[in-house]
Amino acid sequence: MSNLWFLYLFFSALLIFIGLYCLLTMRNLIRLFIAVEIISKGVSLAIVATGAVKNSVLLAQSLAITYIVVEVSLVATALALIINIYKKNKSLDVRLLSKLKG
Amino acid sequence: MVIQIVLLCGLVLFSGLAILLRDLIKAALSLAVASLFLGLIFFRLGAPYAGVFEISVVAGLITVLFALTIALTKKEDEVQENRLVKIIFPLFFILFLIIDGLVMKSLLTKVPALPATPEGESFGLVLWKQRTFDLVAQIGVIFAGVLAVLALFRKTGKDEDKDE
Amino acid sequence: MVFSFIVIPLLVAAFLPLIGKFSKKLIPDVLTNAALAYLVFNAVMLVKPLLAQGTILQNVNWFGEQVNLAVALDSFSLFMLFTISLVSLCITIFSVDYLEHYGHKANFYALLLVMIAGMNGLVLVPDLFSVYLFLEVAAVASYALVAFGLGYDELEASFKYLMLSVVASAFALLSITIIFGMTGSLSFQAVAQGLQDLQARYVIGVCIAFFIMGFGLKAALVPFHAWLPDAHPSAPAPISAMLSGLLIKVSGVYALFRIVYSVVGMTPVLTQVFLALGTVSMVVAALLALGQKDLKRMLAYSSISQVGYIVVGLALGTPLGLLGGLFHLFNHAVAKGLLFLNSGSVQHITGTRNLEELGGLDKRVPVTAGTNLVGALSIAGVPPLAGFWSKLIIIMALIQAKEFGYALVAILASILTLWYYLLMQRKAFFGPLNENLKQVKEAPFWMSAACVILALIAILVGVFFTPFVKTWISPAADVLARGIQHVLTWGI
Repeated sequence: MSNLWFLYLFFSALLIFIGLYCLLTMRNLIRLFIAVEIISKGVSLAIVATGAVKNSVLLAQSLAITYIVVEVSLVATALALIINIYKKNKSLDVRLLSKLKG
Repeated sequence: MVIQIVLLCGLVLFSGLAILLRDLIKAALSLAVASLFLGLIFFRLGAPYAGVFEISVVAGLITVLFALTIALTKKEDEVQENRLVKIIFPLFFILFLIIDGLVMKSLLTKVPALPATPEGESFGLVLWKQRTFDLVAQIGVIFAGVLAVLALFRKTGKDEDKDE
Repeated sequence: MVFSFIVIPLLVAAFLPLIGKFSKKLIPDVLTNAALAYLVFNAVMLVKPLLAQGTILQNVNWFGEQVNLAVALDSFSLFMLFTISLVSLCITIFSVDYLEHYGHKANFYALLLVMIAGMNGLVLVPDLFSVYLFLEVAAVASYALVAFGLGYDELEASFKYLMLSVVASAFALLSITIIFGMTGSLSFQAVAQGLQDLQARYVIGVCIAFFIMGFGLKAALVPFHAWLPDAHPSAPAPISAMLSGLLIKVSGVYALFRIVYSVVGMTPVLTQVFLALGTVSMVVAALLALGQKDLKRMLAYSSISQVGYIVVGLALGTPLGLLGGLFHLFNHAVAKGLLFLNSGSVQHITGTRNLEELGGLDKRVPVTAGTNLVGALSIAGVPPLAGFWSKLIIIMALIQAKEFGYALVAILASILTLWYYLLMQRKAFFGPLNENLKQVKEAPFWMSAACVILALIAILVGVFFTPFVKTWISPAADVLARGIQHVLTWGI
């Protein structure tokens, strides 16, 4: 049964990799946020798959649903920020956001 | 089993498409289709409530929010992504696929796990009786999100064209 | 009632936007400050029953049914609750005057209260996933608060902070999932028991690595610190104080060490890893702070450096080390809150944060200059202020654990800290009065009052540190030490 777990974790890791790659290399602000969404998909797949393997799929469902609610909140806040940035910059390029040097 | 693998491959495919497509609206729609696949996977795993939530919230609500933002930030000249990055992507992807497969294969027997104990209750009981604190926290998160949007969209009374 | 720590801020936050429509200034101020004062009072009242009883577990009956709203209050949690409530109260007192810059007080207070509720919840729950969840509550509120002024700098800083923080949270959740997959449960007790039965060395290492990546970013450990020098200076001054003084410690240091001590178990390898990370943070951030011209940026780098101290103290695992780490956590929260609030006062008075443009303010605004001096000396570790004692205890603990190299580095970093704080003090407050600043007046009443309260706390805790340590910090250190005892019996 644990073979199944590793199958799902394999795909979950793949999704997280796609998200991280996009986050590191893309320039459009909204596309950066799509990358975050893909990472969230990977994580929620991992949560439900773990629950299914451990035979406690109901508990895992509650966790996944709560995580989706948190994600919605995050998306709302981030998109509000992006709209405000667009109003200031008139562009969605992340390279323009380099005024503050870390 | 085969259907699961097909669905999983579809999920990864559409997520990859969401990055590679040039048009933002098409990328958002591709993300919605990926959510649809994920919802189906949840159904087949025995988590129907998570599947419903995933489809209705992520494929529905979040896609609408994305479409709203894209509509509000449309301009004539789009942001050009680096072409090189998109071409290199399949290379890295296949590289990671191989590494991932090897890692997972080698971990196959190494992760110890306690034996699974069967669950007896229904989903409602688990959500309301066992994870009640999560519900309080969910209320908190929703508050935080609503207040954040209210705060970020308030009228400041500053001149809009003032340079910082 | 232990639940009031979470419920009261949420309730007040729920009603504030409505109230804000009727009364723009008076009632939100009074309500928020009253709520936080009640929380401080509650925290102090809980000390006696806690010492008598051990861990307080509370379960709530909702209309007669047994629901699982369980909180576990032990001394570590109570200590964090006290710190959070005290510093937050002073910050809201400060905000009474400072928010004239921004307007929309009700909105601001509501977000602040949600953040406080999130932090309180994080500290109180005995469950891995709930810790993650309350962390997100506080984090979402903080993204909006950093961007509250809607200026260009703030939006950029908030966006970068958001992106990095979301990835970190995802990694932490991934680690929680793996632990769930191994043990089948999420509460601290059950997971500790399960991991004890399983003896999984390699996978626990991977989990801890993910936790360090996730919570280490929240705590701004080097190399995960890149968001902090942008986010903290751009935020409004009370929010900088809140983030730097409380959020990085509660959602970063507390979460990480709670999980390490109560769930996974501290091992010698892990101690070395944390010592290395902490020391790098201490030194790199102190060096970077030396060259800063912006007042708040220098304070932000100093925060990273001091968090390094706290991590080094807590990582040692010896009773003295735990004592020093926790004491320094409290001192830094008070002193850094004070310094950031002062920077807000300076910005309000003179309109600039640039150290080159300031100078000689102590002749015009003695209260601000005096409190700033107290805060700076406390962090730099000058006796008899509180910071001296906590740094001394940490260095003594390092020597006692025979980590002489690290002790030497800690002493050197302390000298660097003293250097740049004196530099800041001299440039901003002492020295000749700058031309443009001839007309400045003292800061408004509530702003000065908040700073004076925090300065008094720093002085009093420094002078009377023995009873303070005995009441608040020793029990907290004992809780952590017991966790080690319990887990070290099966040594990884």
